[in-house]
Amino acid sequence: MERKYTILTILLVVLALGLVVLPKNKERKEIDPKVLLDGVVERSRYLSVDQVTHRIIENDPTLLLVDVRPADQFKTFALPGAINLHPDSLLSQSGTDLLGQPGKDKVLYGNSDLIAEKAWLVCTRYSVNRLYIMKGGMNEWFNTIIKVKPATGTPSTTDLDLISFRNAARQFFVGDGEPATVTTTPIQKEKVPVIRKAPSASTGGGC
Amino acid sequence: MKKINNDGTFYLNPYLGGVILGTVLLLSFYISGRGLGASGAVKNSVAATVNAVAPQHVERSAYYSQFAGGDKKPMSNWLVFEVLGVLAGAFLSGIIFNRLKIKVEHSPKITERRRLLFALGGGLIFGFGSQLARGCTSGAALSGMAVLSLGGYITMIAIFGTAFGAAWLFRKNWI
Amino acid sequence: MIGPIISSGIISSAWDNLFAILLGMGFGFALEASGFSSSRKIIGTFFGYDFVVVKVFFTAAIVASLGLLYLNYLGLIDYSLLYIQPTFLTSAIVGGVVMGIGFAMAGFCPGTSLCAAAVGRIDGLVFFGGMFIGVFLFSEAFPLFENLYYSGSQGSPMINSVFGISPELFTFILVLAAVGMFVGASWVQKKVKKVEY
Repeated sequence: MERKYTILTILLVVLALGLVVLPKNKERKEIDPKVLLDGVVERSRYLSVDQVTHRIIENDPTLLLVDVRPADQFKTFALPGAINLHPDSLLSQSGTDLLGQPGKDKVLYGNSDLIAEKAWLVCTRYSVNRLYIMKGGMNEWFNTIIKVKPATGTPSTTDLDLISFRNAARQFFVGDGEPATVTTTPIQKEKVPVIRKAPSASTGGGC
Repeated sequence: MKKINNDGTFYLNPYLGGVILGTVLLLSFYISGRGLGASGAVKNSVAATVNAVAPQHVERSAYYSQFAGGDKKPMSNWLVFEVLGVLAGAFLSGIIFNRLKIKVEHSPKITERRRLLFALGGGLIFGFGSQLARGCTSGAALSGMAVLSLGGYITMIAIFGTAFGAAWLFRKNWI
Repeated sequence: MIGPIISSGIISSAWDNLFAILLGMGFGFALEASGFSSSRKIIGTFFGYDFVVVKVFFTAAIVASLGLLYLNYLGLIDYSLLYIQPTFLTSAIVGGVVMGIGFAMAGFCPGTSLCAAAVGRIDGLVFFGGMFIGVFLFSEAFPLFENLYYSGSQGSPMINSVFGISPELFTFILVLAAVGMFVGASWVQKKVKKVEY
Protein backbone atom coordinates (compact mmCIF):
# COMPACT_ATOMS: atom_id res chain seq x y z
CA MET A 1 0.00 0.00 0.00
CA GLU A 2 2.61 2.51 1.08
CA ARG A 3 5.00 1.45 -1.67
CA LYS A 4 2.40 2.16 -4.31
CA TYR A 5 2.07 5.72 -3.09
CA THR A 6 5.82 6.23 -2.87
CA ILE A 7 6.19 5.26 -6.52
CA LEU A 8 3.34 7.53 -7.54
CA THR A 9 4.81 10.42 -5.58
CA ILE A 10 8.19 10.01 -7.21
CA LEU A 11 6.56 9.84 -10.63
CA LEU A 12 4.63 13.02 -9.97
CA VAL A 13 7.62 14.94 -8.68
CA VAL A 14 9.75 13.82 -11.63
CA LEU A 15 7.05 14.94 -14.06
CA ALA A 16 6.85 18.34 -12.38
CA LEU A 17 10.62 18.68 -12.21
CA GLY A 18 10.79 17.81 -15.88
CA LEU A 19 8.91 20.97 -16.73
CA VAL A 20 11.36 23.08 -14.78
CA VAL A 21 14.52 21.60 -16.24
CA LEU A 22 13.38 21.09 -19.83
CA PRO A 23 15.10 23.61 -22.09
CA LYS A 24 12.80 26.38 -23.19
CA ASN A 25 11.51 26.21 -26.70
CA LYS A 26 13.72 28.74 -28.41
CA GLU A 27 12.24 28.68 -31.83
CA ARG A 28 9.26 30.88 -32.39
CA LYS A 29 6.24 29.68 -34.25
CA GLU A 30 5.74 31.53 -37.47
CA ILE A 31 2.34 31.73 -39.02
CA ASP A 32 1.46 30.94 -42.59
CA PRO A 33 2.03 33.99 -44.85
CA LYS A 34 -1.48 33.57 -46.26
CA VAL A 35 -2.97 33.90 -42.79
CA LEU A 36 -0.75 36.91 -42.22
CA LEU A 37 -1.98 38.49 -45.43
CA ASP A 38 -5.58 37.98 -44.33
CA GLY A 39 -4.72 39.77 -41.12
CA VAL A 40 -3.13 42.66 -42.99
CA VAL A 41 -6.16 43.13 -45.23
CA GLU A 42 -8.57 42.83 -42.33
CA ARG A 43 -9.11 46.16 -40.60
CA SER A 44 -10.30 44.84 -37.26
CA ARG A 45 -6.87 45.46 -35.77
CA TYR A 46 -7.63 49.17 -35.58
CA LEU A 47 -9.14 50.72 -32.49
CA SER A 48 -10.23 54.34 -32.69
CA VAL A 49 -8.80 56.84 -30.21
CA ASP A 50 -12.27 57.19 -28.71
CA GLN A 51 -12.50 53.44 -28.08
CA VAL A 52 -9.11 53.40 -26.42
CA THR A 53 -9.92 56.49 -24.33
CA HIS A 54 -13.15 54.88 -23.18
CA ARG A 55 -11.29 51.83 -21.98
CA ILE A 56 -8.61 53.89 -20.22
CA ILE A 57 -11.25 55.81 -18.29
CA GLU A 58 -13.16 52.65 -17.48
CA ASN A 59 -9.93 51.25 -16.09
CA ASP A 60 -10.43 48.16 -18.21
CA PRO A 61 -8.14 45.48 -16.73
CA THR A 62 -7.82 43.66 -20.05
CA LEU A 63 -6.27 46.68 -21.77
CA LEU A 64 -2.50 46.78 -22.17
CA LEU A 65 -1.18 49.88 -23.91
CA VAL A 66 2.19 49.44 -25.58
CA ASP A 67 4.01 52.63 -26.53
CA VAL A 68 6.49 52.06 -29.38
CA ARG A 69 7.84 55.64 -29.45
CA PRO A 70 11.38 56.52 -28.33
CA ALA A 71 11.93 56.55 -24.58
CA ASP A 72 12.37 60.34 -24.24
CA GLN A 73 9.01 61.00 -25.88
CA PHE A 74 7.47 58.37 -23.69
CA LYS A 75 8.82 60.14 -20.60
CA THR A 76 7.43 63.50 -21.71
CA PHE A 77 3.93 62.22 -22.17
CA ALA A 78 2.30 58.85 -22.55
CA LEU A 79 -1.16 57.43 -22.14
CA PRO A 80 -1.88 56.35 -18.57
CA GLY A 81 -0.79 52.80 -17.87
CA ALA A 82 1.17 52.47 -21.10
CA ILE A 83 4.39 50.49 -21.19
CA ASN A 84 7.27 51.66 -23.34
CA LEU A 85 8.57 48.98 -25.67
CA HIS A 86 11.09 50.04 -28.23
CA PRO A 87 10.79 48.25 -31.60
CA ASP A 88 14.36 46.95 -31.10
CA SER A 89 13.26 44.80 -28.19
CA LEU A 90 10.03 43.47 -29.69
CA LEU A 91 11.47 39.99 -30.05
CA SER A 92 13.62 40.04 -26.93
CA GLN A 93 12.63 38.02 -23.88
CA SER A 94 11.04 41.01 -22.14
CA GLY A 95 9.15 41.95 -25.28
CA THR A 96 7.71 38.49 -25.87
CA ASP A 97 6.85 38.15 -22.18
CA LEU A 98 4.99 41.45 -22.31
CA LEU A 99 3.11 40.72 -25.50
CA GLY A 100 2.53 37.06 -24.71
CA GLN A 101 0.34 37.81 -21.70
CA PRO A 102 -2.89 35.88 -22.00
CA GLY A 103 -6.18 37.61 -21.36
CA LYS A 104 -5.02 41.07 -22.40
CA ASP A 105 -5.76 43.19 -25.43
CA LYS A 106 -2.42 44.61 -26.46
CA VAL A 107 -2.84 48.01 -28.12
CA LEU A 108 0.17 49.40 -29.96
CA TYR A 109 0.58 53.09 -30.63
CA GLY A 110 3.33 55.39 -31.90
CA ASN A 111 3.23 58.98 -33.03
CA SER A 112 1.51 57.94 -36.21
CA ASP A 113 0.59 54.49 -37.48
CA LEU A 114 3.95 53.91 -39.15
CA ILE A 115 5.97 52.16 -36.46
CA ALA A 116 2.94 50.61 -34.80
CA GLU A 117 1.96 48.95 -38.09
CA LYS A 118 5.42 47.44 -38.48
CA ALA A 119 5.49 46.25 -34.91
CA TRP A 120 2.05 44.74 -35.42
CA LEU A 121 3.21 42.88 -38.50
CA VAL A 122 6.29 41.45 -36.84
CA CYS A 123 4.46 40.35 -33.71
CA THR A 124 1.52 38.90 -35.59
CA ARG A 125 3.92 36.90 -37.69
CA TYR A 126 5.20 35.36 -34.46
CA SER A 127 1.67 34.46 -33.36
CA VAL A 128 0.96 37.16 -30.79
CA ASN A 129 -2.80 37.15 -30.27
CA ARG A 130 -5.17 39.98 -29.44
CA LEU A 131 -2.90 42.66 -30.85
CA TYR A 132 -4.39 45.99 -31.93
CA ILE A 133 -3.30 49.39 -33.18
CA MET A 134 -4.64 52.69 -31.96
CA LYS A 135 -5.52 54.25 -35.31
CA GLY A 136 -3.62 57.48 -35.89
CA GLY A 137 -1.35 57.12 -32.87
CA MET A 138 -0.59 59.91 -30.42
CA ASN A 139 -1.05 62.67 -33.01
CA GLU A 140 -4.60 61.60 -33.67
CA TRP A 141 -5.20 61.18 -29.97
CA PHE A 142 -4.08 64.73 -29.22
CA ASN A 143 -6.11 66.18 -32.03
CA THR A 144 -9.24 64.33 -31.08
CA ILE A 145 -9.26 64.18 -27.32
CA ILE A 146 -7.20 67.13 -26.18
CA LYS A 147 -8.03 69.58 -28.93
CA VAL A 148 -11.70 68.85 -29.16
CA LYS A 149 -13.08 70.35 -32.32
CA PRO A 150 -16.26 72.33 -31.82
CA ALA A 151 -19.23 70.98 -33.65
CA THR A 152 -19.94 72.58 -36.99
CA GLY A 153 -23.29 73.25 -38.52
CA THR A 154 -26.15 71.40 -36.95
CA PRO A 155 -24.60 68.32 -35.38
CA SER A 156 -26.58 65.18 -34.76
CA THR A 157 -27.13 63.86 -31.26
CA THR A 158 -24.49 61.20 -31.67
CA ASP A 159 -21.96 63.87 -32.63
CA LEU A 160 -22.93 65.89 -29.59
CA ASP A 161 -22.59 62.86 -27.37
CA LEU A 162 -19.18 62.17 -28.83
CA ILE A 163 -18.04 65.75 -28.29
CA SER A 164 -19.23 65.86 -24.72
CA PHE A 165 -17.53 62.52 -24.11
CA ARG A 166 -14.30 63.94 -25.49
CA ASN A 167 -14.69 67.01 -23.30
CA ALA A 168 -15.15 64.85 -20.26
CA ALA A 169 -12.18 62.72 -21.29
CA ARG A 170 -10.07 65.83 -21.76
CA GLN A 171 -10.84 66.90 -18.21
CA PHE A 172 -9.96 63.40 -17.08
CA PHE A 173 -6.50 63.64 -18.66
CA VAL A 174 -5.46 67.27 -18.27
CA GLY A 175 -7.60 68.40 -15.37
CA ASP A 176 -9.91 71.38 -15.66
CA GLY A 177 -9.71 73.85 -18.44
CA GLU A 178 -11.98 75.53 -20.86
CA PRO A 179 -13.91 72.81 -22.61
CA ALA A 180 -14.09 73.29 -26.31
CA THR A 181 -17.18 75.24 -27.09
CA VAL A 182 -20.11 73.41 -28.47
CA THR A 183 -22.30 76.27 -29.47
CA THR A 184 -25.55 74.51 -30.02
CA THR A 185 -25.79 72.40 -26.93
CA PRO A 186 -26.69 73.32 -23.35
CA ILE A 187 -25.38 70.02 -21.98
CA GLN A 188 -21.75 70.74 -22.76
CA LYS A 189 -20.57 70.75 -19.14
CA GLU A 190 -22.39 67.63 -18.18
CA LYS A 191 -19.98 64.88 -17.48
CA VAL A 192 -20.67 61.84 -19.56
CA PRO A 193 -21.44 58.94 -17.27
CA VAL A 194 -18.94 56.24 -17.91
CA ILE A 195 -20.69 52.91 -17.84
CA ARG A 196 -18.49 50.31 -16.35
CA LYS A 197 -18.80 46.91 -17.77
CA ALA A 198 -17.16 43.68 -16.88
CA PRO A 199 -14.35 42.85 -19.25
CA SER A 200 -15.82 40.63 -21.91
CA ALA A 201 -14.44 37.17 -21.78
CA SER A 202 -13.07 35.71 -24.96
CA THR A 203 -14.72 32.35 -24.57
CA GLY A 204 -17.18 33.12 -21.81
CA GLY A 205 -17.11 30.33 -19.29
CA GLY A 206 -16.28 30.77 -15.67
CA CYS A 207 -18.45 28.94 -13.27
CA MET B 1 -7.17 -6.34 -6.73
CA LYS B 2 -9.72 -6.98 -4.07
CA LYS B 3 -13.29 -7.62 -4.97
CA ILE B 4 -15.56 -4.61 -5.09
CA ASN B 5 -18.27 -4.86 -2.48
CA ASN B 6 -21.38 -3.73 -4.22
CA ASP B 7 -23.37 -2.35 -1.32
CA GLY B 8 -22.93 1.30 -2.21
CA THR B 9 -19.89 1.83 0.00
CA PHE B 10 -17.25 1.41 -2.65
CA TYR B 11 -15.51 4.61 -3.66
CA LEU B 12 -12.66 5.13 -6.07
CA ASN B 13 -9.24 5.65 -4.60
CA PRO B 14 -9.24 9.42 -4.05
CA TYR B 15 -6.02 9.88 -6.01
CA LEU B 16 -7.41 7.92 -8.93
CA GLY B 17 -10.58 10.03 -8.70
CA GLY B 18 -8.42 13.13 -8.73
CA VAL B 19 -6.49 11.98 -11.79
CA ILE B 20 -9.75 11.27 -13.64
CA LEU B 21 -11.17 14.64 -12.64
CA GLY B 22 -7.95 16.41 -13.61
CA THR B 23 -7.91 14.67 -16.99
CA VAL B 24 -11.50 15.68 -17.67
CA LEU B 25 -10.60 19.25 -16.74
CA LEU B 26 -7.56 19.13 -19.01
CA LEU B 27 -9.68 17.82 -21.88
CA SER B 28 -12.17 20.58 -21.25
CA PHE B 29 -9.44 23.16 -21.65
CA TYR B 30 -8.02 21.38 -24.66
CA ILE B 31 -11.34 21.06 -26.44
CA SER B 32 -13.15 24.27 -25.64
CA GLY B 33 -10.63 26.47 -23.91
CA ARG B 34 -12.42 26.77 -20.60
CA GLY B 35 -12.75 24.90 -17.36
CA LEU B 36 -15.65 23.13 -15.75
CA GLY B 37 -18.32 24.84 -13.71
CA ALA B 38 -21.66 24.51 -12.06
CA SER B 39 -22.94 27.76 -10.60
CA GLY B 40 -22.82 29.52 -13.97
CA ALA B 41 -25.61 27.23 -15.15
CA VAL B 42 -27.74 28.32 -12.20
CA LYS B 43 -27.03 31.93 -13.06
CA ASN B 44 -28.10 31.36 -16.64
CA SER B 45 -31.23 29.48 -15.63
CA VAL B 46 -32.25 32.25 -13.25
CA ALA B 47 -31.62 34.86 -15.95
CA ALA B 48 -33.62 32.81 -18.48
CA THR B 49 -36.54 32.47 -16.06
CA VAL B 50 -36.58 36.16 -15.21
CA ASN B 51 -36.24 36.96 -18.90
CA ALA B 52 -39.32 34.87 -19.68
CA VAL B 53 -41.38 36.43 -16.90
CA ALA B 54 -40.26 40.05 -17.10
CA PRO B 55 -38.07 40.87 -20.13
CA GLN B 56 -38.02 44.62 -19.41
CA HIS B 57 -36.65 43.93 -15.99
CA VAL B 58 -33.72 42.05 -17.53
CA GLU B 59 -32.98 44.92 -19.92
CA ARG B 60 -32.87 47.37 -17.05
CA SER B 61 -30.87 45.28 -14.61
CA ALA B 62 -27.16 45.95 -14.67
CA TYR B 63 -26.50 42.33 -13.76
CA TYR B 64 -28.88 40.27 -15.92
CA SER B 65 -28.24 42.39 -18.99
CA GLN B 66 -24.65 41.12 -19.06
CA PHE B 67 -25.77 37.67 -20.09
CA ALA B 68 -29.50 37.75 -20.88
CA GLY B 69 -31.98 39.86 -22.80
CA GLY B 70 -31.67 41.08 -26.35
CA ASP B 71 -30.42 38.35 -28.62
CA LYS B 72 -28.47 36.51 -25.94
CA LYS B 73 -29.78 33.05 -25.21
CA PRO B 74 -28.81 32.11 -21.68
CA MET B 75 -30.31 28.64 -21.80
CA SER B 76 -28.27 27.45 -24.75
CA ASN B 77 -25.10 28.12 -22.84
CA TRP B 78 -22.19 25.69 -22.70
CA LEU B 79 -22.42 25.42 -18.91
CA VAL B 80 -26.08 24.42 -18.98
CA PHE B 81 -25.26 21.47 -21.22
CA GLU B 82 -22.27 20.64 -19.09
CA VAL B 83 -24.44 20.54 -15.96
CA LEU B 84 -26.91 18.21 -17.67
CA GLY B 85 -23.91 16.01 -18.37
CA VAL B 86 -22.89 16.13 -14.71
CA LEU B 87 -26.33 14.85 -13.72
CA ALA B 88 -26.07 12.02 -16.25
CA GLY B 89 -22.51 11.11 -15.27
CA ALA B 90 -23.29 11.03 -11.57
CA PHE B 91 -26.41 8.96 -12.22
CA LEU B 92 -24.33 6.50 -14.21
CA SER B 93 -21.82 6.22 -11.40
CA GLY B 94 -24.70 5.78 -8.95
CA ILE B 95 -25.96 2.82 -10.99
CA ILE B 96 -22.52 1.22 -11.32
CA PHE B 97 -21.66 1.49 -7.64
CA ASN B 98 -25.19 0.79 -6.47
CA ARG B 99 -25.79 4.07 -4.68
CA LEU B 100 -29.13 5.08 -6.16
CA LYS B 101 -31.53 5.60 -3.28
CA ILE B 102 -33.93 8.39 -2.45
CA LYS B 103 -33.14 9.60 1.04
CA VAL B 104 -32.03 12.55 3.11
CA GLU B 105 -28.52 12.01 4.32
CA HIS B 106 -27.87 13.43 7.76
CA SER B 107 -26.06 12.81 11.00
CA PRO B 108 -28.12 10.60 13.37
CA LYS B 109 -28.02 13.38 15.93
CA ILE B 110 -30.13 15.83 13.96
CA THR B 111 -33.58 15.63 12.45
CA GLU B 112 -34.29 15.38 8.75
CA ARG B 113 -36.07 18.71 8.88
CA ARG B 114 -33.06 20.45 10.38
CA ARG B 115 -30.78 18.94 7.74
CA LEU B 116 -33.00 20.14 4.92
CA LEU B 117 -33.25 23.63 6.40
CA PHE B 118 -29.49 23.85 6.62
CA ALA B 119 -29.10 22.50 3.09
CA LEU B 120 -31.49 25.17 1.82
CA GLY B 121 -29.76 27.94 3.77
CA GLY B 122 -26.33 26.72 2.72
CA GLY B 123 -27.41 26.58 -0.90
CA LEU B 124 -28.80 30.10 -0.71
CA ILE B 125 -25.61 31.47 0.81
CA PHE B 126 -23.42 29.52 -1.57
CA GLY B 127 -25.38 30.72 -4.57
CA PHE B 128 -25.05 34.28 -3.40
CA GLY B 129 -21.32 34.00 -2.78
CA SER B 130 -20.68 32.28 -6.09
CA GLN B 131 -22.05 35.29 -7.96
CA LEU B 132 -19.93 37.69 -5.97
CA ALA B 133 -16.76 35.69 -6.60
CA ARG B 134 -17.68 34.98 -10.27
CA GLY B 135 -17.69 31.23 -9.78
CA CYS B 136 -17.85 28.38 -7.33
CA THR B 137 -15.46 25.68 -6.15
CA SER B 138 -15.37 24.11 -9.61
CA GLY B 139 -15.55 27.14 -11.88
CA ALA B 140 -13.48 29.65 -9.97
CA ALA B 141 -11.30 27.59 -7.67
CA LEU B 142 -10.57 24.31 -9.52
CA SER B 143 -10.55 25.62 -13.10
CA GLY B 144 -8.78 28.78 -11.96
CA MET B 145 -6.07 26.75 -10.24
CA ALA B 146 -5.53 24.66 -13.36
CA VAL B 147 -4.60 27.75 -15.40
CA LEU B 148 -2.72 29.25 -12.43
CA SER B 149 -5.13 32.18 -12.17
CA LEU B 150 -4.46 34.36 -9.14
CA GLY B 151 -8.20 34.79 -8.56
CA GLY B 152 -8.71 31.01 -8.56
CA TYR B 153 -6.16 30.51 -5.81
CA ILE B 154 -7.53 33.36 -3.72
CA THR B 155 -11.09 32.06 -4.01
CA MET B 156 -9.94 28.54 -3.13
CA ILE B 157 -8.11 29.73 -0.01
CA ALA B 158 -11.07 31.91 1.03
CA ILE B 159 -13.57 29.05 0.63
CA PHE B 160 -11.57 26.36 2.41
CA GLY B 161 -10.17 28.68 5.06
CA THR B 162 -13.61 29.94 6.01
CA ALA B 163 -15.16 26.50 5.84
CA PHE B 164 -12.62 25.13 8.31
CA GLY B 165 -13.61 27.80 10.83
CA ALA B 166 -17.31 27.72 10.09
CA ALA B 167 -17.50 23.91 10.22
CA TRP B 168 -16.55 24.12 13.88
CA LEU B 169 -19.49 26.48 14.48
CA PHE B 170 -21.87 24.04 12.84
CA ARG B 171 -20.20 20.91 14.26
CA LYS B 172 -23.38 19.79 16.03
CA ASN B 173 -24.93 19.20 12.64
CA TRP B 174 -22.19 16.83 11.57
CA ILE B 175 -20.47 14.94 14.39
CA MET C 1 -3.98 19.87 -33.63
CA ILE C 2 -3.34 22.98 -31.60
CA GLY C 3 -5.92 23.32 -28.90
CA PRO C 4 -8.23 24.66 -27.69
CA ILE C 5 -9.69 23.05 -30.78
CA ILE C 6 -13.02 24.86 -30.69
CA SER C 7 -11.79 28.40 -30.02
CA SER C 8 -9.17 28.07 -32.72
CA GLY C 9 -11.82 26.93 -35.18
CA ILE C 10 -10.49 23.47 -36.00
CA ILE C 11 -13.90 21.97 -35.48
CA SER C 12 -17.14 23.87 -35.70
CA SER C 13 -18.61 25.37 -32.57
CA ALA C 14 -21.77 23.36 -33.19
CA TRP C 15 -19.91 20.47 -31.57
CA ASP C 16 -19.32 22.58 -28.51
CA ASN C 17 -22.53 21.61 -26.79
CA LEU C 18 -22.06 17.91 -27.46
CA PHE C 19 -18.61 18.08 -25.89
CA ALA C 20 -20.14 20.03 -23.01
CA ILE C 21 -22.41 17.09 -22.23
CA LEU C 22 -19.61 14.52 -22.56
CA LEU C 23 -17.20 16.52 -20.41
CA GLY C 24 -19.96 17.12 -17.88
CA MET C 25 -20.56 13.37 -17.74
CA GLY C 26 -16.90 12.75 -17.02
CA PHE C 27 -16.97 15.43 -14.37
CA GLY C 28 -20.10 14.04 -12.71
CA PHE C 29 -18.80 10.49 -12.85
CA ALA C 30 -15.46 11.42 -11.30
CA LEU C 31 -17.14 13.36 -8.50
CA GLU C 32 -19.74 10.74 -7.68
CA ALA C 33 -17.37 7.79 -7.88
CA SER C 34 -14.96 9.55 -5.51
CA GLY C 35 -17.76 9.90 -3.00
CA PHE C 36 -18.70 13.54 -3.46
CA SER C 37 -22.38 12.74 -3.48
CA SER C 38 -22.26 12.31 0.29
CA SER C 39 -22.21 15.54 2.25
CA ARG C 40 -20.95 13.73 5.34
CA LYS C 41 -17.98 12.39 3.42
CA ILE C 42 -17.19 15.84 2.04
CA ILE C 43 -17.46 17.59 5.38
CA GLY C 44 -15.10 15.02 6.90
CA THR C 45 -12.22 17.15 5.64
CA PHE C 46 -13.08 19.86 8.14
CA PHE C 47 -13.24 17.48 11.09
CA GLY C 48 -10.31 15.37 10.04
CA TYR C 49 -12.05 12.02 9.60
CA ASP C 50 -12.06 11.90 5.80
CA PHE C 51 -9.79 13.93 3.57
CA VAL C 52 -11.22 12.78 0.27
CA VAL C 53 -12.01 16.36 -0.80
CA VAL C 54 -8.45 17.56 -0.30
CA LYS C 55 -6.99 14.53 -2.07
CA VAL C 56 -9.29 14.61 -5.09
CA PHE C 57 -9.33 18.37 -5.44
CA PHE C 58 -5.59 18.92 -5.32
CA THR C 59 -4.75 15.86 -7.39
CA ALA C 60 -7.09 17.17 -10.07
CA ALA C 61 -5.61 20.67 -9.92
CA ILE C 62 -2.06 19.32 -10.23
CA VAL C 63 -2.87 16.95 -13.07
CA ALA C 64 -4.62 19.69 -15.02
CA SER C 65 -1.90 22.30 -14.41
CA LEU C 66 0.90 19.90 -15.32
CA GLY C 67 -1.02 18.69 -18.34
CA LEU C 68 -1.64 22.20 -19.62
CA LEU C 69 1.99 23.18 -19.20
CA TYR C 70 3.17 20.03 -21.01
CA LEU C 71 0.70 20.61 -23.83
CA ASN C 72 1.91 24.19 -24.02
CA TYR C 73 5.53 23.02 -24.10
CA LEU C 74 4.81 20.59 -26.89
CA GLY C 75 3.02 23.35 -28.78
CA LEU C 76 -0.28 21.48 -28.64
CA ILE C 77 -2.27 24.20 -26.93
CA ASP C 78 -2.36 27.95 -27.27
CA TYR C 79 -2.27 29.21 -23.71
CA SER C 80 -3.39 32.68 -24.73
CA LEU C 81 -6.75 31.35 -25.96
CA LEU C 82 -7.63 29.74 -22.64
CA TYR C 83 -10.21 31.41 -20.46
CA ILE C 84 -8.39 32.81 -17.47
CA GLN C 85 -10.68 34.09 -14.79
CA PRO C 86 -10.21 37.84 -14.24
CA THR C 87 -9.12 38.62 -10.70
CA PHE C 88 -11.17 41.00 -8.63
CA LEU C 89 -9.40 40.81 -5.32
CA THR C 90 -12.05 42.10 -2.93
CA SER C 91 -15.00 40.31 -4.45
CA ALA C 92 -13.03 37.06 -4.75
CA ILE C 93 -12.21 37.13 -1.03
CA VAL C 94 -15.65 38.24 0.17
CA GLY C 95 -17.41 35.83 -2.18
CA GLY C 96 -15.09 33.01 -1.08
CA VAL C 97 -15.80 33.68 2.59
CA VAL C 98 -19.55 33.69 1.94
CA MET C 99 -19.23 30.41 0.02
CA GLY C 100 -17.16 28.93 2.83
CA ILE C 101 -19.99 29.56 5.30
CA GLY C 102 -22.51 27.98 2.94
CA PHE C 103 -20.16 25.04 2.43
CA ALA C 104 -19.84 24.38 6.17
CA MET C 105 -23.60 24.70 6.69
CA ALA C 106 -24.65 22.33 3.95
CA GLY C 107 -21.61 20.20 3.17
CA PHE C 108 -22.05 20.69 -0.54
CA CYS C 109 -20.75 22.89 -3.28
CA PRO C 110 -22.79 23.34 -6.46
CA GLY C 111 -21.18 20.52 -8.45
CA THR C 112 -21.36 17.99 -5.65
CA SER C 113 -24.96 18.88 -4.80
CA LEU C 114 -25.88 18.04 -8.37
CA CYS C 115 -24.20 14.65 -8.03
CA ALA C 116 -26.03 14.04 -4.77
CA ALA C 117 -29.33 15.00 -6.39
CA ALA C 118 -28.59 12.67 -9.32
CA VAL C 119 -28.29 9.65 -7.01
CA GLY C 120 -31.43 10.58 -5.11
CA ARG C 121 -30.23 12.61 -2.13
CA ILE C 122 -33.01 15.04 -1.32
CA ASP C 123 -30.67 17.32 0.63
CA GLY C 124 -28.61 17.76 -2.53
CA LEU C 125 -31.69 18.74 -4.47
CA VAL C 126 -32.73 21.18 -1.75
CA PHE C 127 -29.25 22.74 -1.76
CA PHE C 128 -29.47 23.19 -5.49
CA GLY C 129 -32.88 24.84 -5.11
CA GLY C 130 -31.42 27.12 -2.45
CA MET C 131 -28.77 28.19 -4.92
CA PHE C 132 -31.42 29.44 -7.31
CA ILE C 133 -32.83 31.63 -4.56
CA GLY C 134 -29.38 32.89 -3.64
CA VAL C 135 -28.50 33.73 -7.24
CA PHE C 136 -31.88 35.41 -7.71
CA LEU C 137 -31.42 37.50 -4.55
CA PHE C 138 -27.93 38.54 -5.63
CA SER C 139 -29.12 39.55 -9.08
CA GLU C 140 -31.99 41.60 -7.68
CA ALA C 141 -29.80 43.25 -5.07
CA PHE C 142 -26.95 43.77 -7.54
CA PRO C 143 -26.96 47.60 -7.40
CA LEU C 144 -26.15 47.32 -3.67
CA PHE C 145 -23.13 45.15 -4.38
CA GLU C 146 -22.04 46.64 -7.67
CA ASN C 147 -19.09 48.51 -6.19
CA LEU C 148 -17.92 45.47 -4.27
CA TYR C 149 -18.37 43.31 -7.38
CA TYR C 150 -16.01 45.46 -9.43
CA SER C 151 -13.54 46.42 -6.72
CA GLY C 152 -9.98 45.20 -6.55
CA SER C 153 -9.69 44.62 -10.29
CA GLN C 154 -6.32 43.15 -11.24
CA GLY C 155 -6.82 42.03 -14.81
CA SER C 156 -6.14 38.34 -15.38
CA PRO C 157 -2.80 37.80 -13.66
CA MET C 158 -1.28 34.38 -13.19
CA ILE C 159 -0.25 33.47 -9.68
CA ASN C 160 3.37 32.75 -10.61
CA SER C 161 3.82 36.34 -11.78
CA VAL C 162 2.88 37.52 -8.27
CA PHE C 163 5.89 35.62 -6.93
CA GLY C 164 7.99 36.53 -9.94
CA ILE C 165 8.72 32.92 -10.93
CA SER C 166 7.97 30.87 -14.01
CA PRO C 167 4.72 28.87 -14.26
CA GLU C 168 6.78 25.67 -14.37
CA LEU C 169 8.59 26.43 -11.13
CA PHE C 170 5.35 27.42 -9.45
CA THR C 171 3.74 24.14 -10.47
CA PHE C 172 6.72 22.20 -9.17
CA ILE C 173 6.40 23.92 -5.79
CA LEU C 174 2.66 23.27 -5.88
CA VAL C 175 3.29 19.55 -6.43
CA LEU C 176 5.69 19.40 -3.48
CA ALA C 177 3.18 21.28 -1.29
CA ALA C 178 0.37 18.96 -2.35
CA VAL C 179 2.41 15.83 -1.62
CA GLY C 180 3.19 17.26 1.81
CA MET C 181 -0.48 17.94 2.33
CA PHE C 182 -1.47 14.39 1.31
CA VAL C 183 1.01 12.89 3.75
CA GLY C 184 -0.22 15.23 6.50
CA ALA C 185 -3.85 14.44 5.74
CA SER C 186 -3.28 10.68 5.95
CA TRP C 187 -1.47 11.13 9.23
CA VAL C 188 -4.29 13.22 10.75
CA GLN C 189 -6.90 10.80 9.46
CA LYS C 190 -5.22 7.93 11.33
CA LYS C 191 -5.24 9.93 14.57
CA VAL C 192 -8.82 11.14 14.43
CA LYS C 193 -11.65 8.97 15.63
CA LYS C 194 -13.50 7.41 12.75
CA VAL C 195 -17.00 8.72 12.24
CA GLU C 196 -19.55 6.32 10.82
CA TYR C 197 -21.57 7.65 7.93
